[in-house]
Amino acid sequence: MNIFHELTAGLRELVRRNKTESELSEELDAYVQNVADAKVQAGATRDEALRAARLEMGGMESVKHQVRAAGWEFALEVFAQDVAYGVRMLLKSPLFTAVALTTIAIGIGANTAMFSLVDAILLRPLPYPKPQRLMVAGTNQRGESPMSPMGTADFLAWRDRQHSFEQVAILDGAGGNFALSGMGEPERIPGVGVSADFFSILGVAPLKGRGFHPGEDRPGATGVVVISEQFWRDHLDFDPNVLNRTLTLDGKQHTIVGVMPAGFRFPPREPVDVWAIRTMNPPQARPPFGLHAFGRLKPGVSMRQAAAELDQIVAQVNAQYPSSTPLAGVMMPMKEWMVSEVSTALLVLLGMIALLLLIAVVNVANLLLARAAVRQREVMVRMALGASRKRVVRQLLTESAVLSLLGGVLGLLLAYLAIRAFLAFGPGQMPRLNEVGINSGVLLFTFVVCVGSGMLFGLAPALETSRPALSDPLKDANRSSSSASARRTHRALLVFEVALALLLMIGSGLLIRSFVRLSDVSPGVQTDHVITAAISLSNNYPDPPQFWKQFLEKLQMLPGVKAAGITMSLPPNLLEITNPFTVEGQGYDRHRKLQLAEEMSVSPDYFRALRIPLIKGRFFSPSDRVEEEKDPMIVIINETMAKQYFGTNDPIGGRIQTGDPNPSSPWETIVGVVGDVKYSGLDAGREPTIYVPYNENAWAGWAREMYLVVRSSGSAQQIVPAIRDQLASMDGSLPLAQVRTMDELLDESLVQQRFRTWLVSGFAALALLLSAIGIYALISYSVSQRTREIGVRVALGAQRRDVLGMVLREGLQLLVFGLLLGWVGAFSATRLMRALLYSTSATDAVSFVATSVTLVVVALLACYIPARRATKVEPVVALRYE
Amino acid sequence: MLFLRVDGLNETCMPDTNTALVQGTLDMLILKTLALEPMHAHRIGLRIEQISQGVFLVNPGSLFPALKRLERAGWVESRWRSTENSRRAKYYVLTAGGRKQLKSETRDWKTQSVAIARILQA
Repeated sequence: MNIFHELTAGLRELVRRNKTESELSEELDAYVQNVADAKVQAGATRDEALRAARLEMGGMESVKHQVRAAGWEFALEVFAQDVAYGVRMLLKSPLFTAVALTTIAIGIGANTAMFSLVDAILLRPLPYPKPQRLMVAGTNQRGESPMSPMGTADFLAWRDRQHSFEQVAILDGAGGNFALSGMGEPERIPGVGVSADFFSILGVAPLKGRGFHPGEDRPGATGVVVISEQFWRDHLDFDPNVLNRTLTLDGKQHTIVGVMPAGFRFPPREPVDVWAIRTMNPPQARPPFGLHAFGRLKPGVSMRQAAAELDQIVAQVNAQYPSSTPLAGVMMPMKEWMVSEVSTALLVLLGMIALLLLIAVVNVANLLLARAAVRQREVMVRMALGASRKRVVRQLLTESAVLSLLGGVLGLLLAYLAIRAFLAFGPGQMPRLNEVGINSGVLLFTFVVCVGSGMLFGLAPALETSRPALSDPLKDANRSSSSASARRTHRALLVFEVALALLLMIGSGLLIRSFVRLSDVSPGVQTDHVITAAISLSNNYPDPPQFWKQFLEKLQMLPGVKAAGITMSLPPNLLEITNPFTVEGQGYDRHRKLQLAEEMSVSPDYFRALRIPLIKGRFFSPSDRVEEEKDPMIVIINETMAKQYFGTNDPIGGRIQTGDPNPSSPWETIVGVVGDVKYSGLDAGREPTIYVPYNENAWAGWAREMYLVVRSSGSAQQIVPAIRDQLASMDGSLPLAQVRTMDELLDESLVQQRFRTWLVSGFAALALLLSAIGIYALISYSVSQRTREIGVRVALGAQRRDVLGMVLREGLQLLVFGLLLGWVGAFSATRLMRALLYSTSATDAVSFVATSVTLVVVALLACYIPARRATKVEPVVALRYE
Repeated sequence: MLFLRVDGLNETCMPDTNTALVQGTLDMLILKTLALEPMHAHRIGLRIEQISQGVFLVNPGSLFPALKRLERAGWVESRWRSTENSRRAKYYVLTAGGRKQLKSETRDWKTQSVAIARILQA
């Protein structure tokens, strides 16, 4: 009741300012008259009485002020006045304002953009109901890699025996696309296989139709799919009768049962067009492991309990497959599973951008400090007239808040553009990008950062300006000198700025060096003149090798084709499978450390197409076809495997077994050793690789989805139409997908690293520029302050060199302190980015030294310009200068 | 050109005879004074001065802000009337709420002063 009263009264007064003011004047007037009347009655003359009454009152304005100050609206009014005043002050010095605003806008814009990424990807809960109860389950070899996908056997056991989850489902990690045919040009569309409870666990309702029914993933069930809204629009023209239409995916009929809304994205990295039901047969063997399993915890069940239960079930499966490597069950929250890969990079980038903002803040503080000297006289006048220091500081802080908020508005604009640009041109491959945007949380962040940085860069100058001066600057009317303490603050800030800039530069130096090393890594193949593409055969081909043989023969005949081959995996990072192996004589201890090889089936000319060097033995030959069981199976291994497992012995003729350690597995004979090729990314270590002929019986079934690799004599792209023609002549329904040159593949594999290296280098360049400006401004200012001193020195016989040295020394001093501080910071901070570095130590000497030298050179240049100006000082002019 | 703002005045110390008055006490005294009859500001000041036998001198710099506070709180109302000397002045009237407030404040004050007196005599 009272508060309401206060509020309305205050508002009323704000609105009717004039009326209340005149009423107050009138009342005070009447008061004076009444006092005077009393005095007249006591015998004074009218004039005397009035004068005495006014004296007693102690100043009409003062009383009015106190009355006004009694209401809350007064503080608001003062604030509004301060803001208006601040804006006027900023408009009065447009150059200062422009520089300061740009600096702040860049700092805040970059932070806002980065924060909106971090917010959407790392901070916000997943866009599903009760997302904290969503868990991802997988297996690993005890104590080994954090979490690998599950095999079918483990999942089925878990699904049937667990009691911790309301429901569990899988997302098939393999594939990632389907061949769509029967709708115009055949093409590959992004899609995933999922099990029946997939949609109900995530809890997102379809836009149209339904999700999958329980049991629709049983073996033998008819194929059903749910499509994305985008697919509905692009391929089906928003057909209202979309439900129950059929799609031919990988040559098999699927019925559309639902449409998911546009905002639904799972898997979270890239949008998919179709979610197809994946039927699961009880498996023959435990591998392959390719299922991302997840579930929704029952209320009251903790992740720890659920993980323990999973581990028990996996242990039962271990017993069920005695020859398989024993595994452990592991579990993690779904959000962690989605974002853990990018979180380090994002947080390091956010930290670096925060550094950039700090540099911007220090720079603006320095600008304000330089202005403080000019403002001091004005402030002194106000304090002489009775303003308290608190009042003056408040006014100055309001001014810097105005500055930072204006900068923040500009920054928001920049951030908006930056986010748009990032989404359009940045590296796609990041989870939850569809959720990125400027929302209320981001706005709040920006606001807080604005006000915070306003206070940060305003506080030191405000305190400095309002410091009670020993020598009265009012008297010193012609000099605008700053106090010794102001200079100290100024220098300390500059040292800090140099240190921050160095820290950022070292960080970017490390990333650049790491990136250069990574780019220098040879993928093990000759990338020029090579085109690659993906072809996927439908189930209509009972004998895929037969198809490939004919197709490759046709391609070999094309003019310009030097070699054409097919492979399951492509360098530098398109590895499809790894497989355990046993070398003859190694024994079959199933508890030994899992030894995995990258394994793939290839055609004979694959090695020639990529110019993978033959080190020993021979390549595969077309006559190698292994038709019957009694024929020996043959393999080619890479150099690393030869060295690690055969040492000085000749591996040719040696024998290995693949799959889980098992004496009864068939033996495979090594016929050749080839150079190492990177299949798990350029930054991966040396891994054993096993190549098998694509037409070997055991692998024929895998040969449906293959990459084509063609080396041509002309440019790689030119041959593409001819390849398409040949494919169409074989089967018009097969799409030639993911057409890329080998160089492009190499390039794309580095997109993330390249992007963050560029980004951070940009920050570092900005930081360098800002600190150079800061040093330049400080030294210029100091030279202008010392003009008279320099004049005197020159008059007394100082040489040009002496003056130059004197000024440079001042800059050098700051620089040395800044460098030391920056090094200390860098030594302790760069280890945080170790995960982002490739074969580069976090304290890499070259990066440290090179960036420091760059900083010193640029900083000395920034000092040199004003220093040279100092040497041109004419003594006579200087002495008259003041 | 120099922008000057003269708003620091409230914080320059004006000698105030009422510094001895506990914050809020003045409000109670004003309410008590107005309980007799409606009065204008000058009369209120005089009255407090007289009854306290010159112990409390009410400075306009405290009196007017206090009146504004009371009016804001809804404990007094004001209207313009002519004075006994046929001048116009703003008269303050106690409201029903003001009367209640005065009662409770008086009761509190009595309890407290008795307590303080006991402590001082102990």
